[in-house]
Amino acid sequence: MAAIVAIALLVKFLKSDGPWSDSFYWALKLAFAVIIFRVFIGVIIGVPVPGHTLFTIPNIPLPDWMAGITLGGPVTWERVSSTVIESLNIASIIAIFGAATSLTNTRAVLRSMPPIFYEVGMVLVIATTLTPQLVGNLKRIRIAQKIRGISNSKFLSWRQIAMPLLEDSLARALDLAAAMDSRGYGYSRKRSKYRPQKFTFKDALLISTGFIFLAVSL
Amino acid sequence: MIKFQNVSLIYPTSQKTILDGLNFEIGEGEFVLLIGETGIGKSSVLRLINGLVPHHTGGILAGNVEVGGLSTRDVRPGELAELIGIVGQNPVNGFVTDIVEDELAFSMESLNLSNEVMRKRIEEVLDLLSLASIRDRKIATLSGGEQQRVAIAAAMVLHPKILVLDEPTSALDPVAAEEVLAILQRLVHDLGITVIIAEHRLERVIGYVDTVIEISADGNTRIGKPDEILKESEIAPPLVKLARALKLPKVSLSVRDLRKDTENIRNTGNEVAQRHEVLGRELIKLDSVSVHYGDKIALQKLDLSIRGGEIVALMGRNGAGKSSLIKSLLDVVEYKGTIKKHITKIGYIPQDANDLLYHQSVKNECDQTDKDHSLTVGTTYKLLNKLVPNIKQDIHPRDLSEGQRLALVLAIVLAPNPELLILDEPTRGLDYSAKELLIKELIARSEKGAAVLIATHDVELVAELASRIVILADGDLVADGPTMDVLLASPAFAPQVTKVMSPRKWLTVSDVLKAIE
Repeated sequence: MAAIVAIALLVKFLKSDGPWSDSFYWALKLAFAVIIFRVFIGVIIGVPVPGHTLFTIPNIPLPDWMAGITLGGPVTWERVSSTVIESLNIASIIAIFGAATSLTNTRAVLRSMPPIFYEVGMVLVIATTLTPQLVGNLKRIRIAQKIRGISNSKFLSWRQIAMPLLEDSLARALDLAAAMDSRGYGYSRKRSKYRPQKFTFKDALLISTGFIFLAVSL
Repeated sequence: MIKFQNVSLIYPTSQKTILDGLNFEIGEGEFVLLIGETGIGKSSVLRLINGLVPHHTGGILAGNVEVGGLSTRDVRPGELAELIGIVGQNPVNGFVTDIVEDELAFSMESLNLSNEVMRKRIEEVLDLLSLASIRDRKIATLSGGEQQRVAIAAAMVLHPKILVLDEPTSALDPVAAEEVLAILQRLVHDLGITVIIAEHRLERVIGYVDTVIEISADGNTRIGKPDEILKESEIAPPLVKLARALKLPKVSLSVRDLRKDTENIRNTGNEVAQRHEVLGRELIKLDSVSVHYGDKIALQKLDLSIRGGEIVALMGRNGAGKSSLIKSLLDVVEYKGTIKKHITKIGYIPQDANDLLYHQSVKNECDQTDKDHSLTVGTTYKLLNKLVPNIKQDIHPRDLSEGQRLALVLAIVLAPNPELLILDEPTRGLDYSAKELLIKELIARSEKGAAVLIATHDVELVAELASRIVILADGDLVADGPTMDVLLASPAFAPQVTKVMSPRKWLTVSDVLKAIE
């Protein structure tokens, strides 16, 4: 819990407005959903944990081959607290990942990646550029379609959104491919890198200390 | 430099021949303008130059396209990257990265240039296109003119001999368009680059180009000096139309020349009464409306009232708050303040008309509109037929020409008889005939008492169409008044005819003709 709060503060202070900066927010949402889901499941299904009974839900009998697992039954304080702690663990891991993606500039990472990963990296770069555009298009089309049929239906059919969006995205993808093609992409076997970021001694030190900590904690 | 020999182009799935027996030659260091009706294949011609057609799009190419001694048939577009730079109709679609400097480096990285060369060339091109101050900015946050310049810069880093641009100024406001064109002209004059553009807004570009290539509907091509071609061309900017209407012996392409020839008319012409409009009741009233996006103020305490019968042009730079105003009228954005609507139906034509269409055929689109608005079956199609006769019912909307598609969208939006019609930059990519259709229909609607609000950069359209102009800047209303007064007050917004006829208050060719009757 404390870890999540600490990360949230860190993100708040270091946040830049890159395309990924919202990802921490989404990660928190996901983490919260995970907690709710995990606790719910943990209470309903699971191995009975002895202790102080909080309340009892009706026990649903399960076939014999599922022995050891119960559905319903007495809910003990110990059972709730153990699921909450477990789910908090998962949630903090998700939050940490979210924070990492929102604080790093994907492009800077790509620049310092070894050339072997460059093709994959290129795909990521394009995806990160296109995703916000896609969201923008979606909003635009929704507005247009909503006004078009405003007198009758309150809800838009998926077709109304999907068809223009699909056509638009396809046209965009073709445009992009044409642009990349005419700018010589993939023509030379090797690609050079503009302002490559070299690994410094400091980076190496940081990473190796990280590994040492990991080894020790394991 | 570029040679088209008997070039024809057919797509196997389509019955239509896109280009038929094209022949022309373009020399080094020329600034060439390609004109022709929409759908005639101008974009295809541009893309033939670097082999995107047919290598990228497919299609059957007959004849030969030769560029710098190479036949595009034999080389892929990528191999021509150092010879030809190409900027598409929508530069945003061609951007690969999101930071200006990275975007400029992209093509050079592809060609495996060394880091030192890249650093040097990027600095060069940043200076050449005056982009140094925005080198670290995110491309998405730039204005349209800046994006266009980044796209040109990204092509220029490879030091191409030829630069090809598809409608480079059509999305730009008049001032940004001038900037882009001045830069292109500098590239031609200082670096000897051959620049080829296609553009509908002739009035903007005609003063800059040396050569015009006209492709007619029957497949004939004419190539020559701008004044020679435009003397007989169907497609003509207001200056040429004015010269023709006044039966002047020669066609002038600059305001200055035409002013010399029309001095007499300016001195003797009569006053022209402004278009008389019958103002109806108040349809919509905005009271201190503000729109914020996060910390950014898009619209600041705007007061505005629109009455029936008015055609209001909404102008201003990109990002001045035009879209925010439209969105608040459509009720799709959160705003502060009050908007009183005394109407039930608003029609809206978005910037990209395709956003509205989603059916497989014209008939289905029309039927859907009849159904959506409980109209008698066939109403929409009947209206479409009135706008542009003989559009086949089973054709896919994507296969229509730009003008036909505009007609379809107009029919869809106008069929339920909206009392207020809102258009967001509808004239992008429209040729003169499609524009005329739009103007005719909108004026007819306003005469029946509907109001029109049209956001546009096209001053010539505004001169013909609007009765009132509202100019926004940085979210503030900076001008609001009758078309005549607002257009005359600002040199950047003055239409060509007005520039020629200043200080007389004539906006259009027909105004001038009325004045000398």
